[in-house]
Amino acid sequence: MDSQEDLKRCPVDFDHESRTHASNWPTEFRELRGKCPVAWTEKHGGYWVATRYQDVVAMAQDDATFSSFKTFDPHSGEVTGGITIPATPIPRGLPVESDRPDWNMFRTYLNRRFAPKAAEARRAKVRKYADSLLNRVIETGEIDLVNEFTGPVPAMTTMELMGLPLEEWREFADPLHEMVFTPKEAPEYPHVIAGVQWIFKRCIETFHQRKTEPLGDDLLSYFAHEKIDGRAVTEEEMLSFCNNIITGGVDTTTALTTHALVYLNEHPEDYRRLQEEPKLLPVAREEFVRFFTPIHGLARNVSRDVEMDGAKMEKGDRVYLAWSAANRDPEVFTDPETVDIARFPNRHIAFGAGMHRCIGSFMARVMFEEMMHVVMVRIPDYRTHPDRARRYTSVGTINGWVDMPTSFTPGPKIETGLVL
Amino acid sequence: MKVVILDERCVGHGMCRLACPEMFELSDEDGHAYVTSETVPPDLEAAVDQAVRGCPEQAIVVEA
Ligand code: HEM
Ligand code: SF4
Repeated sequence: MDSQEDLKRCPVDFDHESRTHASNWPTEFRELRGKCPVAWTEKHGGYWVATRYQDVVAMAQDDATFSSFKTFDPHSGEVTGGITIPATPIPRGLPVESDRPDWNMFRTYLNRRFAPKAAEARRAKVRKYADSLLNRVIETGEIDLVNEFTGPVPAMTTMELMGLPLEEWREFADPLHEMVFTPKEAPEYPHVIAGVQWIFKRCIETFHQRKTEPLGDDLLSYFAHEKIDGRAVTEEEMLSFCNNIITGGVDTTTALTTHALVYLNEHPEDYRRLQEEPKLLPVAREEFVRFFTPIHGLARNVSRDVEMDGAKMEKGDRVYLAWSAANRDPEVFTDPETVDIARFPNRHIAFGAGMHRCIGSFMARVMFEEMMHVVMVRIPDYRTHPDRARRYTSVGTINGWVDMPTSFTPGPKIETGLVL
Repeated sequence: MKVVILDERCVGHGMCRLACPEMFELSDEDGHAYVTSETVPPDLEAAVDQAVRGCPEQAIVVEA
């Protein structure tokens, strides 16, 4: 064994993007956590995998050692750093792919727009989108839960937040969902990417248009008018904000809500309990976020030699922080592999930990609650059919469903003031 | 019992508020927590203890 391999303790055959991992991840993580809590795999150019709660939190909190900073050269396509393994040849997301002190500036600039009060103020609109989407199908008794409900509600909420026209919700929702599960070699991949690029083009157009209008309530208007650090937001920064907000917020909330609805269908006693005790919903929500951990894991870049749980990490190494593995660590959670909708306290880290912790978590919580409420009230006897549905073939970034055929007793439309 | 939030650790998970809304508020500026009073009334001690155990950042400290 050469010295390089001596250093990379605990070599394992592991790839968070593989199909084996997608179908077998709880077992793979259980084994790693016990035997090799910080393990080394040669896949994707080599990276560490951290699976213990304590280690994942420590690394996420030590942002000086474990950097998120990314560079991308559009001419050569060369990428360094960032939070995805493998690295993606697109411009960085902000604030997520920045380090202090720049991160402070970006995050402070955005915080107010995502704080609990700002998220709460959007609740009525989220309800309206959910009710209007259900109106489209309520008389038929059938819905593809993912493509007609749990996907579009976050997409429309995000569009409204950004200031993009709601009529384009289909053009917005579809590529953002397809992008997450379409393999790069698939024939339809270029079409999906073109759809995503179109969304960013709409952001650029709207950003420039907002500059000619008075300051409004939407984010693109905020970016066009509100100075950052005493100067105007650049087009590049604006796109990086949009990238982070759109990709961070849309398919994640979709996955969470779909998983929860499937789970409740399979566990009628829990479903009944939630119907009888609606006050339990926020507690159950956190348990669903823990158990399903929509963002499976994200990467960091080691900026100095450091030892972590026995692993000698070197400057320049990459490490995958498996939020999903940490959230099932038996040292922290009793009976971690089962859902307990009344589990409390619940210190899961599905929204991350340390300074990059999800800025959109309050928005996500509002969207989840409103979608659940609308389903439980208007189609209470819904039946999901996971046997006819497709899972993502890779869960490495987002763990979700491609579609979810669902049936229910037809019901009446209700007035929402919005026809879709 | 007294309770404080370590500002340098708190990143706004909001789990404390879920445990004890009477004692923990979240800021409208950045979503970080602050306490409504440093002194915990006896009937809220159990809920504050849950907040301590529910905070992923170990940002809440109590003193007897
Ligand atoms: C259930 C839904 C969601 C989950 C599971 C989730 C998960 C996460 C995680 C794990 C991080 C940490 C990233 C890191 O440490 O590198 C994060 C950050 C972030 N999320 Fe979310 N997220 C969700 C919803 C949202 C929503 C709705 C939005 C926006 C409307 C959003 C926007 C962001 C942004 C901008 C960041 C970067 C924050 C920073 O770097 O300071 N997320 N999210
Ligand atoms: S749970 Fe902890 S980190 Fe989260 S808001 Fe409360 S004190 Fe802050």
